[in-house]
Amino acid sequence: MSEAPSLHSRRALNLRFDIPISKTHEFWDALKRGGFVTTKCSNCGNVSFPPQADCPRCMGSEFQWVDLDRDATLVTFTHVRMTPASFADSDSYVIAIGELSEGLKVLAWLEGVKPEEVRHGMKMKVEARTSKEGNPYYVFVKA
Amino acid sequence: MSRVAIVGIGHSKFGRRTDVNVGELAFESIKQAVDDSGVDRKDIGNVVVGSAGGWYEESLPAVVVDEYAGLSGAGTMRVEAACASGSAALKSAYNSILSGETDVAMAVGVEKMTEVDTPTSVELIGRAGSYMWEFENYGMTFPAYYALYAVAHMNKFGTTEEDMSRVSVKAHHYGSMNPLAQFQKEISLEKAMGSQVVAWPLKLYDSCPLTDGSAAVVLASEDAAKKLTDTPVWIKGVGYSSDTANLSRRGDYVGLQAAVTAAKKAYSMAKVTPQDIDVATAHDCFTIAELMAYEDLGFCKKGEAAKLIREGQTELGGKIPVNLDGGLKAKGHPIGATGVSMAVEITKQLRGEAGKRQAPIKNGFGLMHNIGGTGHYAYVTILSRS
Repeated sequence: MSEAPSLHSRRALNLRFDIPISKTHEFWDALKRGGFVTTKCSNCGNVSFPPQADCPRCMGSEFQWVDLDRDATLVTFTHVRMTPASFADSDSYVIAIGELSEGLKVLAWLEGVKPEEVRHGMKMKVEARTSKEGNPYYVFVKA
Repeated sequence: MSRVAIVGIGHSKFGRRTDVNVGELAFESIKQAVDDSGVDRKDIGNVVVGSAGGWYEESLPAVVVDEYAGLSGAGTMRVEAACASGSAALKSAYNSILSGETDVAMAVGVEKMTEVDTPTSVELIGRAGSYMWEFENYGMTFPAYYALYAVAHMNKFGTTEEDMSRVSVKAHHYGSMNPLAQFQKEISLEKAMGSQVVAWPLKLYDSCPLTDGSAAVVLASEDAAKKLTDTPVWIKGVGYSSDTANLSRRGDYVGLQAAVTAAKKAYSMAKVTPQDIDVATAHDCFTIAELMAYEDLGFCKKGEAAKLIREGQTELGGKIPVNLDGGLKAKGHPIGATGVSMAVEITKQLRGEAGKRQAPIKNGFGLMHNIGGTGHYAYVTILSRS
């Protein structure tokens, strides 16, 4: 279908969110120190990842922070070649889902491995990173 | 239980529709559906509009669409279930008749996805999961979510990239027969296999396009339906379910649990089995999604979807023809319109109005499988001639 006349609107909408993390800031603080932790419900013992202050199993709101195992086994992955607008500075990246020994699963970039060398069941390790804006995050690297 | 029928259908041309705004686009389908049903607009007590929104200028699409089509005053709302918003709108309109609130209701699906640039659309769909844990640091895209399933399915069952490309070739074949489809050209297996990788193993030709489009259906109670039409198509089974926002909280990546649950509910309510279905639409936003749908719907055993497509069993003349309208891949996928578009297609098939794409109707049952996000929402709806 050919392009028809359109009115290029004068009003731009630029959305950037301030996302509250007060209930789980310890997760991000720990990452900054190189730690990797999550929440464990004080009532029923359920361990959640990602961390959450309120337990989805028993609805209890008291929890403690526990250390997570950093060893992971690759469950599945993809190599993203067409990136979103806000990732325009990245040509491509590998995203993996890894299973920790606790049975919890984590989704993150897999760094330092060529896409063609990624294998089902490969051993990975969680490492902390800091974005150029100063925000902590985590990635997988080959174990 | 009282019964509800589809008594009127409307469907716009799908594609890059820079010639119309959201109200004008919805009007095309609403007018056809009103004319097809013969209903007086003042008798439509409820208009439910399925639209994900965010990529076009209106924040309140329901009232904008209603005003443009002279439907203001009816009960109305916009519903969102991502790519299953259309089926959610259908279910909501259906419920308003079942409850006795109104005798006639309308479900409209509409989306305008091309008013923003493509990277912005990719961004908005990529955020369709658990933002903080999937997008903020990792830039997931819609194909990337389904690619995680594709890789797991390939690894566990030996499904190949070529099997996925076969789904695309089939979609384009039927799209070439559908004048309302975005793409109306056949493609070769080589062309599909050789297309640009967007999120390995998924390529451009494994992926549905960004689409503008609308669809509408008029629903009526049994008494109202009998007055309006001789060819009602009855809603016999409605099943729905959901799964976690965050993919890392799911058990496995070789099928969509929400779809399995929704299908079981729909079959049970309609009192049919997968073998009773004459024709189906499956939510092929990506080719792997159609293959998983065959398994999740019970059209084949788990892990045997590749065999089904290789044998041509989901083509016309096969055991269970799927997506004879070109599917999301070739017909196009205007997010909120897709579920209603599926209802239009299955109604046409059951009425025997699908022309050269017509499936043989033996048992009188058609099924629509509509997924929102990456199995986040699932709706399975079964329609029947009697």
